[in-house]
Amino acid sequence: MFYNGYDKMSTILKIFTFPASFIIICLGILTILGGHITPGGGFQGGAMIASGVILCIVVYGLEHSPIQLSHNLISIIESIGALGYIIMGLVGLFTTGFFLYNVGADFYHLIPNTIYMIFKYPDVTNAGIVPYLNIFVGLKVFVGLSAVVIAFFQFERHEKSEE
Amino acid sequence: MLNLGPIIFGLIIGVIVGLTLKNNPDNPIVFTKSSFIVILIVTIVVAWQLGPFPYYTDLPIATGFVSGAIGIIIGKSISKAT
Repeated sequence: MFYNGYDKMSTILKIFTFPASFIIICLGILTILGGHITPGGGFQGGAMIASGVILCIVVYGLEHSPIQLSHNLISIIESIGALGYIIMGLVGLFTTGFFLYNVGADFYHLIPNTIYMIFKYPDVTNAGIVPYLNIFVGLKVFVGLSAVVIAFFQFERHEKSEE
Repeated sequence: MLNLGPIIFGLIIGVIVGLTLKNNPDNPIVFTKSSFIVILIVTIVVAWQLGPFPYYTDLPIATGFVSGAIGIIIGKSISKAT
């Protein structure tokens, strides 16, 4: 029989884990969104969200976890993260000649006002595209780290089923 | 001035994460709608204690935290409906 955390864990742990994961995931989202003004950022926030997912998988087991990441969803979010980052860089390259130029802040006044307004992040800080980059990195790290743990659990199940 | 950035993008990230939440009918422990309401209330309390980001003076709570939680619940209801 493969590892099934659901049978081994206590009821208290099973009741506590999902709400705790929910709060951890929300903290991860907050860390991603505050990457341009507070410590943290895309990688750290994404890792926090992934830790919430991993906590659920460890306690409930892969089969019974309330957070189920399908292969399609993982590939879609991973692609959005990577492509979004590159597209943000290419916008700067095509408008100013510099890859990843901060078109949302435009410190050197190189781009038209319309493009500046499109990529301006709506808050009091003049952060430009930095929060968007954090969001893309966060999404990519979230699914990347979660996929690693899911793969480990599936390898174990595969090995046990072969025996 | 209301800082819309964390509210909008917190909601978007929350919906993306919430799409992964699924209730397994085989489990004896099921998180019902009422449990999500309790979690949401706890979330608002935590957001109040966290406070806003530096330079954000619009609201006294962490708006990204609350909008992320609302987004997760919206994402869960979307994934349940489809």
